Amino acid sequence: MTDTPSEAMERLVGVARDPRAYIGRWRAGHPGGAVLAILPMNFPRELAHAAGALPVIVQDDQEPITEGRALLAEFYCGYTRNLADQVATGRFDVYDAVFSADHCIQLIGATEIARTLRPDTTVFLGMLNSSMNDSWAPAKVTETMAEIQAEIERFTGNPVGREELGRSIEAYNRDRRLIRQLLDTRSAGEAALSPVQLQDIIVSSMVMDPVEHHALLLEALAGLHGTERDDRVRVHLSGHLCHAPRRELLEVIEDSGAIVVDDDLYHGKRYLSTDVAEEGDPIAALAGWYARRNVTIPCPTRVQQDADWDTYLLDAVRHSGAEAVIHLVPKFCEPHMLYYPELRKALDAADIPQLQLETEHEGMPLESFRTRIEALVERTLRRRPVHV
Amino acid sequence: MLGSIEKPVEDKSNRLGMTRVGGQMIADYWEDLFTARERGKQIVWYNGGALNPMFQAAGLAWCHGEAFAARLAAQRLEGPAQLAGAEYGYNAELCSYSRTHLGCSVLTLQGTEGDQTGVVGVHDQEVLAAKLPAPDFFVNNYAGCSTGQQWDGISYRVFGKQLPIFNISHPFLWGNKPDSGYLRGAEWEQASQFVASQLRELIGFLEHQTGRPFDYDALSESMTYIKRAAELRREGLDLCKAKPAPATFWDWIASVAPINFLPGSQALVDYFADVRDEIQGRIDHGVSAVKDEKYRLYFDGIMNWNKLGYLSRKFAEHGVAVLAGRYIQNAFWQEPHLIDTSDPILGMAQHYLLCPTNHGVKTLEHLALRDCEDYDLDGLVFHSTRTCRAFTGPQRLLAKAAQDKLGLPSIFFEGDVADASFYKDGILESRLVAMLEAIDVRRERGALPDGFSAFA
Repeated sequence: MTDTPSEAMERLVGVARDPRAYIGRWRAGHPGGAVLAILPMNFPRELAHAAGALPVIVQDDQEPITEGRALLAEFYCGYTRNLADQVATGRFDVYDAVFSADHCIQLIGATEIARTLRPDTTVFLGMLNSSMNDSWAPAKVTETMAEIQAEIERFTGNPVGREELGRSIEAYNRDRRLIRQLLDTRSAGEAALSPVQLQDIIVSSMVMDPVEHHALLLEALAGLHGTERDDRVRVHLSGHLCHAPRRELLEVIEDSGAIVVDDDLYHGKRYLSTDVAEEGDPIAALAGWYARRNVTIPCPTRVQQDADWDTYLLDAVRHSGAEAVIHLVPKFCEPHMLYYPELRKALDAADIPQLQLETEHEGMPLESFRTRIEALVERTLRRRPVHV
Repeated sequence: MLGSIEKPVEDKSNRLGMTRVGGQMIADYWEDLFTARERGKQIVWYNGGALNPMFQAAGLAWCHGEAFAARLAAQRLEGPAQLAGAEYGYNAELCSYSRTHLGCSVLTLQGTEGDQTGVVGVHDQEVLAAKLPAPDFFVNNYAGCSTGQQWDGISYRVFGKQLPIFNISHPFLWGNKPDSGYLRGAEWEQASQFVASQLRELIGFLEHQTGRPFDYDALSESMTYIKRAAELRREGLDLCKAKPAPATFWDWIASVAPINFLPGSQALVDYFADVRDEIQGRIDHGVSAVKDEKYRLYFDGIMNWNKLGYLSRKFAEHGVAVLAGRYIQNAFWQEPHLIDTSDPILGMAQHYLLCPTNHGVKTLEHLALRDCEDYDLDGLVFHSTRTCRAFTGPQRLLAKAAQDKLGLPSIFFEGDVADASFYKDGILESRLVAMLEAIDVRRERGALPDGFSAFA
């Protein structure tokens, strides 16, 4: 960011870096209010918000994994082992319940740790149908959304009225739209915010009440002036389907002569990609949101024959003018490992330079990555037209 | 050196003779599949639960992806397929069933270039020892493991998005409700009906693909045979509670393929009747499956198919009879009473939901501890199956439950379903010996009187 960070921006960063402190403040202002641990990637937070709860998407908290190692195998992804560690060491105690809607078997493994180690805690799985083309999928997804609503009502003791749900939907849409504008600005050529700052903004939106977040973000953006894109190699970051890449990795990418112009990261465009319809039945709208998310940015955890992540990636690259793609593959992420060859094939066919980096929760070889990113940058620069 | 660990000083295992008969039935099945196209059969590739009775009734030939990967691994022929998968871009940490099978897809496609027979290229056949015909369509029936659906979705893409694909969705039996439990509760009933309704949709899909009306009578007939075979299998499993054990987990592993994907037929019933009778005969004549049985253990994890024979000998070498495991007692038509042969769809749906990776830990704990008690076991061995997150996820919690609730010790060893490179023999050897010594020490101390907890 070219301007001096405002106090509002610093508060957003503070929430992103220390969600537990924010949860503490929220509790103080909402006596008796429930704080729900939400697990990625598709949980309809609007339902919990409408019931007066604070639905917090649990972050990979970047602490070294200690006791979690004894609970999940070492070949589980770093995020799920980190979740297990948070539970085992008491860092999960800030949450009153755990809610999930996805069927990643590794995530379910981590969720089982929470349920077993905290037997008195509500741990709910409202599994959203991941086979999207079936004729019965819409009804099943809508049914699951209603089940999630019922469970939230049962847990919080608060009925979710249509009006309250409508207001929550509006609030989350408003916040999503605002952050999306920042990402669109980045793709359009104005690099007003660094990847780390954007990640902080998105993480804070995953933690905070959307009304509060929106107001704070507006304040942070007031007076912020964009700068024109410089001459660094324009890259698209792809991957990390459910947790954030390390901030230091984002810094190395931009330090190595690249500038991030677009992404399909969960802590990026993927999370914000789709709004919930504000008309009609809100439960049906949430079901439609779930289905449309996978069309807006296809996810390899869904099975949908006519939605292709590779096609999306090529379109995104053309739209943003990215010159290269960096695949950020969390080690042991099976959906990504399965789909990666399709991405590689498509980019190779389109003659787009690419680099795969396998990321880890800890012990990431940043200097080795730097060398490889620099090589990608040099390779890409050589492809630029020479003006004489 | 692999060879040096392959031959124990003395082979103390005494495998059932019938498993050789089963091996021949399986070999015949695959040979039949390899020539199916020549006989004008349509071919379906599928994964997950045992849909073969459906395909049998529809007049199809069927290839179960995991089974083919497991077969290649058991024959130590998985290398070329995995290499093809690696060259295509699949990471070695990816489920080795999926990357073996996807490697086969790659080889199959390479073999069909300029050749529409749908047979793996001749140049690959010798090393692959397989002639897997290309599919006409895919059906996915994966419960529990989220990777399963994605694997078939990728197969669909590898084959150029040209072939039809049908997906069945299985709700994970998480246990949200107070009445949730094994074979009971609203969650179980609702999930059963949901999957059953999809199976009825599958029948419509099969009718469309084959251009023929579905033969419900043939399905009933097939399921009648399978139900009877499953009942006999359960009887045989129950007989193995005897001391010394007349047959072991490894014998039942050798019988997975027949119950999991061979056609429902009188031959299948005869096979499991003969298995049961051989076990009963051993009990009658005092013949044990392990010479000088001294310990009885539980085995958790998908089978390490590269090491089936080796592991059976290794455990026997230490006087260990491995008798129960999630992969045997809790899978493969293990609840035959659920099948109504006159209308088998609901019972089939329920069996698919009963995949041992599709339960929450509470149910898995109930099943594992029940089997530990029923078979009077001394401890548990967990195969930390490197690329199978579905099976390994609850293992640490199961080990803790066995220790806390039954006082049973556990060990973990590393390996994989279809990739020999992850197996660490030294780890298994040292940990197994240590656990057996601990069991000896505990026995010498004597049992605690009833009502006292072994562990505070």
